Amino acid sequence: MKRHLTEEELIQHQFKLASHEQTAGGWADHLAGCDECRQRLELLSQKFAALDLLAEDVPASEELIPQTIAQAKRPAPRRIIPFIRRYHWIATAAAVLVVGFALMMGSFDKFGAERPKSANKSELASKGKMDSLSQVEEESEVTLVAKDLADKEAVQLQEALLSRQMAGKSPAAPPAASPIGPADSFGTAAATRPDSQPQPDQYAFAPTAAGGGAAVTPVQVPALSQQVQSLAAESEDRRKSGTELASTVGVRSDAGEIPEKPPFAPASAIELVTLPRRDNVQLTIYNSADLTLVRERRNLTLKQSWNWLQLMWANTLIDPTSLSLEPAAQADKVDVQQLVFPARLRELGRWLIRSEISGQVPFEITYFTSGLSWRAFYMGTLSEDEKKMRLAGYVRVANGSGEDYENAQTRLLVGKVNVLDEIADLAKRQYAYGRPGMPVGPDDYLFIDKEVDEDSDGLALDRAVMVAGRIGDLRPKEIRKEGLSEYFLYTIEGTETIPDKWSKRLPSFDVEDIEIESLYKYDEERWGTQTIRFVSFANDAEHNLGDTPIPNGAVKIFGRSGGQNHLSYVGGTDIKYIPVGEEIELNLGPARLVEVEPKLMAFETENYVFDNRGNVAGWDEIRTWQMEITNTRRLPIEIEITRGFDTPYWTLQTEEPYEKHDATHARFETPLQPQSKKLLSYTLTTYHGRRQEQVSQ
Amino acid sequence: MEKTDKSLIDAHLQGDSEAFGELVRRYGDSLLGYLTKICRNREQAKDLFQETFRKVHEKAHTLRGSQFKSWLYTIATRVAMDALRKGNRVRMVSLNQQVDCDGENCPQLGALAVAADCDDPAQEAVKAENKQLVRQAVESLPDRQRVTLVLAYYQGLSYREVAKILDCSIGTVKTQMFRALRTLAQRLPDISGVAK
Repeated sequence: MKRHLTEEELIQHQFKLASHEQTAGGWADHLAGCDECRQRLELLSQKFAALDLLAEDVPASEELIPQTIAQAKRPAPRRIIPFIRRYHWIATAAAVLVVGFALMMGSFDKFGAERPKSANKSELASKGKMDSLSQVEEESEVTLVAKDLADKEAVQLQEALLSRQMAGKSPAAPPAASPIGPADSFGTAAATRPDSQPQPDQYAFAPTAAGGGAAVTPVQVPALSQQVQSLAAESEDRRKSGTELASTVGVRSDAGEIPEKPPFAPASAIELVTLPRRDNVQLTIYNSADLTLVRERRNLTLKQSWNWLQLMWANTLIDPTSLSLEPAAQADKVDVQQLVFPARLRELGRWLIRSEISGQVPFEITYFTSGLSWRAFYMGTLSEDEKKMRLAGYVRVANGSGEDYENAQTRLLVGKVNVLDEIADLAKRQYAYGRPGMPVGPDDYLFIDKEVDEDSDGLALDRAVMVAGRIGDLRPKEIRKEGLSEYFLYTIEGTETIPDKWSKRLPSFDVEDIEIESLYKYDEERWGTQTIRFVSFANDAEHNLGDTPIPNGAVKIFGRSGGQNHLSYVGGTDIKYIPVGEEIELNLGPARLVEVEPKLMAFETENYVFDNRGNVAGWDEIRTWQMEITNTRRLPIEIEITRGFDTPYWTLQTEEPYEKHDATHARFETPLQPQSKKLLSYTLTTYHGRRQEQVSQ
Repeated sequence: MEKTDKSLIDAHLQGDSEAFGELVRRYGDSLLGYLTKICRNREQAKDLFQETFRKVHEKAHTLRGSQFKSWLYTIATRVAMDALRKGNRVRMVSLNQQVDCDGENCPQLGALAVAADCDDPAQEAVKAENKQLVRQAVESLPDRQRVTLVLAYYQGLSYREVAKILDCSIGTVKTQMFRALRTLAQRLPDISGVAK
């Protein structure tokens, strides 16, 4: 073999990985006669010798061995193999049967669909008041045929069917929250699968049915004297409710109670199936906790009986445990009894309401949702001499909750709300509404909101502003502020429509002529060798502020340059929540035009102290520093220089005024003329060892 | 006279409670070293160690004639591979760093601790650092290659035994071993001049 061995071949040779043919091919012979390859092999061996560093065994500790023996002797935990895994072939066979059956039924349906429309018409007409069960089976057929029906009654009936289908209920569905939910009885699973939520076009239909208030009444169970009901009674109820629903829709259609204003057709997934649109809604956004309290008012049409109301919150961020429904009027005659979460139906709840009256009753629905947030922004504009600033504040409200909020009165809570843990506890509780007999509403948790409501009738204000809005008041909306203990509540004037995934920026305040102090700071320990520019003012009356705390947010500062008042960006920073009376210091970042260059000019030691053995036990270190400060700006500046000495035992000798900032730091503050330089010198003496004791004595 | 593995297993099957303990002590260090090299976490290795001997205890009656050691390593390898597969899906990170900072899993502290207790701290610190580099190189190997390397190199098993443990052919073992070594040749530190 004439060529040298490759590294891979050397590895194979070293670890006996080569096949017999390769070995026989002369690798060993070649190595015996080739010094270079032998050297490379040696190097490779040395390299792999590093593996031996890990060669030692890891001793099993004295604790581990008895522990292992004890655990091994314990009976092994019994493995539970799910039935479906153990007998997966049964599941496979069942699946094949189901698919085959479905295909077969599909072919029958196709055949049925090809029948003449007239046949379908006559079939539908002959049904009259359909039997509920057969209606379920032929639902798709009815939907298809009804488009061509000229008969008004049939159209009304189809509307009823569709609206019921959209809600996950058919006329055949049980009116009570029976274990057999709509998905079971209807077979479409519309309410159980998130992906089968109502589509927008269905929504457009839904408010038409629901928007008239009396249009779609809550599903009623006639003469239900007890909550527990038999299956036979349910069956009877289904027939009755189906009939009633159809007839009610018919009345609505004849009466023509379609709202003039097009219904708000949200892409939302929350749908109070039997509820009309919101009359008004109030949002209180607790930004610090990603929490929003929603209070909305709707007029429900109840019958003198038991009423079931269904609410779906699919694709929203609503906390279902926080749902609360209270009558806003006739509270003595309307009793909200329970909220039921039916089995196998996700993101759906049903309220059971007992009403002694028939007709419209205003209800207030409250719940918590997350996904709504707000953030404050500020824009400061410095005057040319940089002694005054105009500060404009904005609030941006963003809606990512999955729900559109139309004409919502929006309130923003400033300050940290210490309720997050309680809300989390609420979500974790075993019972969604606490101990039986003690219904828990949001007000029990957010006392802040309760107090505010006592102060101001937000909903009433909302209505008033809505009226004002209609007459064309186009001035910028005011954000009303109210103090609330250590919190602060900003109420945006009027109402706002904030669709899902949209955000809106609103002006909060605009204050002119705030007197400011511009200060440059140099502190090597904090910012290195850069000089940092600060603008400071106070949130008080002297500075034309102080009415409200300033929420945390981003500040951008602009300066005016040139005679044409062009704005130039000076710097920006995030500020924290600033209470009334507190000073604000805005860090605008490094200043390029102001520089500080410290130089150590001399160093010496003296005053040595010796111990009994003659060893050095203490001494002084003396350093002379010179700092060159350069201001290349066209404005006079004030600069603050902080020097750290790493020891509390120091003295300073300088002609410049300074103050002892803390035990280990001294601070110089000096003015500088435009485009000038200044030298600042000081001599620092630090004491070490026993000299520290002597100095301190 | 020391009892053979087979006689200890037989005694264990006969109900001798001491026999099983003897087996754990006999192979404990070696098996824990093996599992520690395979896993990236000593605590996990201890868990797998216990799991392996639990299975040995449970399945002792299935040992038929074959050598106990390779049977033990077969079980340990399967247990470890299962854990690695799960671990690849969900990487567990110990929140209790004190447990891991014993020199094995915390290189800086380990190097300092070792260096502080020996005659030549600098040399020992370098060695500890190299050890960490080797560990990193080995840990960077794919699971299958790492297991093959540990069995063949560190546990001193023949390729035939490794093939039996891993339930594959000798050719596959050699391929895995070769790939592992080829990778390590690039990643291992040069330790010439450092005391091992």
